[in-house]
Amino acid sequence: MLRDITLGQYYQTESVLHRMDPRVKLGGTLLYIISLFCFKNFWGYLIAVLFLGCVIKLSKVPFKYMVKGMKAIIVLLLITVVFNLFLTPGTALITVWKLTITKEGLKTALTMALRLTLLIIGSSVMTLTTTPNQLTDAMEKGMSPLKVIKVPVHELAMMMSIALRFIPILLEETDKIMKAQIARGADFESGNLFKRAKAMVPLLVPLFISAFRRANDLAMAMEARCYRGGDNRTKMKPLVYHRNDFIAYAFIFVYMVASITIGRVF
Amino acid sequence: MGIIKAENVTFEYIRRDEEGNVEGITTAVDNVSLDIEQGQFIAILGHNGSGKSTFAKHLNAILHPTEGTVWVNGMNTRHEEDVWDIRQTAGMVFQNPDNQIIGQIVEEDVGFGPENMGVPTKEIWERVEESLKAVGMYEFRKHSPNKLSGGQKQRVSIAGVLAMHPKCIVLDEPTAMLDPNGRKEVIRAIRALNDVEGMTVILITHYMEEIIYADKVFIMDKGKVAMEGTPREVFSQVEKLKKLRLDVPQVTLLAYELQKKGLPLPDGILTTEELVQELLDLKNGNLERR
Amino acid sequence: MSLILDHVSYIYGDDTTLAVKALDDVCLNIPDGQFVGVIGHTGSGKSTLMQHLNGLLKATSGSIYFNGEDIYDKDFDMKKLRSKVGLVFQYPEHQLFEIDVFSDVCFGPKNLGLDRKEVELRAYDALKKVGLPDELFYQSPFDLSGGQKRRVAIAGVLAMKPDVLILDEPTAGLDPKGREEILEQIKKLQTETGMTIILVSHSMEDVAKYVDRIVVMNRGKVMYDDIPKEVFRHYKELEEVGLAAPQVTYIMHALKQKGLAVDVDATTIEEATEQICLEILH
Repeated sequence: MLRDITLGQYYQTESVLHRMDPRVKLGGTLLYIISLFCFKNFWGYLIAVLFLGCVIKLSKVPFKYMVKGMKAIIVLLLITVVFNLFLTPGTALITVWKLTITKEGLKTALTMALRLTLLIIGSSVMTLTTTPNQLTDAMEKGMSPLKVIKVPVHELAMMMSIALRFIPILLEETDKIMKAQIARGADFESGNLFKRAKAMVPLLVPLFISAFRRANDLAMAMEARCYRGGDNRTKMKPLVYHRNDFIAYAFIFVYMVASITIGRVF
Repeated sequence: MGIIKAENVTFEYIRRDEEGNVEGITTAVDNVSLDIEQGQFIAILGHNGSGKSTFAKHLNAILHPTEGTVWVNGMNTRHEEDVWDIRQTAGMVFQNPDNQIIGQIVEEDVGFGPENMGVPTKEIWERVEESLKAVGMYEFRKHSPNKLSGGQKQRVSIAGVLAMHPKCIVLDEPTAMLDPNGRKEVIRAIRALNDVEGMTVILITHYMEEIIYADKVFIMDKGKVAMEGTPREVFSQVEKLKKLRLDVPQVTLLAYELQKKGLPLPDGILTTEELVQELLDLKNGNLERR
Repeated sequence: MSLILDHVSYIYGDDTTLAVKALDDVCLNIPDGQFVGVIGHTGSGKSTLMQHLNGLLKATSGSIYFNGEDIYDKDFDMKKLRSKVGLVFQYPEHQLFEIDVFSDVCFGPKNLGLDRKEVELRAYDALKKVGLPDELFYQSPFDLSGGQKRRVAIAGVLAMKPDVLILDEPTAGLDPKGREEILEQIKKLQTETGMTIILVSHSMEDVAKYVDRIVVMNRGKVMYDDIPKEVFRHYKELEEVGLAAPQVTYIMHALKQKGLAVDVDATTIEEATEQICLEILH
């Protein structure tokens, strides 16, 4: 049941986007997200949609697969829409019982929905085409100036990549523990909040114990393989810019210029 | 001195209760000495809790002996400054494949060791390729480890150690969590390493059928070496093995039972073919005598 | 207390392109009091099958009857089924969580809503049945050895007084002696209580000695379903699907091929010894 969450998990295929330097993708995604919140008119969103469309096409990840991943956050999306729809003051359009839909509400709700959808699909394109390792590499490299002020950049990146590696394993384990306890008559679904929280104990204790054991084992395995922090470490896949990456930067630049001029001015 | 030499190694740890008071001292490894030559295939056997895994962790300088000394390729594991050289010389594979794979992609995991050692990028790729080929996992190099079977994951772990170019590889119960197919896969890979590449292998296990190809077997019990010898020598002592909570392969057991019934079979028969041949000889011999 | 599976199929990941038929038209009838071994390699569908028997997974098609009642009937009490068909999973670490062994075993019966006295009585009884020494009752379950943990896990399910006990790979990760001990204990439990036991394993040698019947699973299908001797006759086919018959079977077949008059159906060491002695000494 928990394995159905596909949002943003790496999708293996060969494409220009998969081969692209992760720094480009990370930078591009950041700019794209910022742009979404800066648009003042409908044209800006149109440009964003076009941009996203091109990127998705290039990624060779089936659009259907991405939409499936969206299922997990559809509730969140709906809540946002409903809140904006009913709670924005302004000129009333329709009033049903005590709820009023205003013109402004409708507008904000639609913009919010559009913005969120574009945001989530946009950032999931990045994670779908970039392995978490590449992503952490990009962050490590991108944040490396912070080393000067003693930020443990390498350690943070390593922690993140290990966390990502173990998420699917721990999810699967949670599933197994739940089943083992349900087989002993445990009930995770009914009762009030307090009861439910208490019912989690038989799930959480084995999960934590196992997670600690794994952490311990992993630390030992890493040490056995000569891991001793980021110093003097070489890279199997060092980040080097290629011709395509510069083209991509140019493409992003064009998008930026377009969204500033069209999205904000007109 | 061989590639690995342990001299009177004893390892003790202090048990504490919940408040941290000392409850007692457990001697996990008790005065173990052994000398392993380059290129040998060594098996260390014992039931759960016999101290075999604790001993194995000494060979990689993860644990240090309370008393006695361990030398890896002439380096004393107690010397802090040699620790990385030691770990590079004696690579270690652990029991649970999930808990030792660090990379999200097979090839990235295999590259982890060489990266830590500061090997130049180009050479890392060469090492990853040759290591994956050596364990027959090259075609899976772009896969996520989560999608592999237990046996495949364990072979990736072995490749990860091979990429560090060790002289010796220590495997701590690499098959304990695998199904029979996975076990066969892993054992085949280990044997190939020893046969083809001449790698020194130290296999720690409790499966008797995995050690019949070993050059030498050590059997541990209560932290001590209880028996040692060639597989044939060890397997000929069925009663003693049973006392040590160990099993013998069914063939050996059958041969032993037949011996007890008065059939003149040699001691320590290890394979089906051997037993069948011996029995045929007996039968034909009987006929000739008539 | 019989279990009947009628054309049960289970498709995993139904709505995606990655749909896998984990169970494919499985029909089984497990009568009262039988000791059944279910064998298959990883991914053969044996664990999926077991999770159907206590309703943890719902079949995509087909029906399952417990004592003649359709478990997919909307009036059927699933919770009751789970207490009647006890399932012990492979790793005891996945279910042990309480502060001491005894409280952990109480968890199951407590969930059944029994009063305290009955709960403790059942827990005590269950721990006795799995042969755990009294002095371990108030120890933390995490300090026990692998074999002991396994016993506590089994007791945790036994305390619910199931009619059918399913054990998923109860010997995984144990050393040879530990394996034998736990299997002997299960066999004893079966003879003493007469309960139906389903033992899931990937080791033929482990089960051959104990069970009345073997069900071999392969790619979600029932490949063989017979008494052990009959199943091992197909040792070549078993090998093709990555399973092996006991070593003794191979020896007997090899001897037969070389012209010795031995019975190839001998599966245990004792039977084989007898056969070979007969042939060679006389």
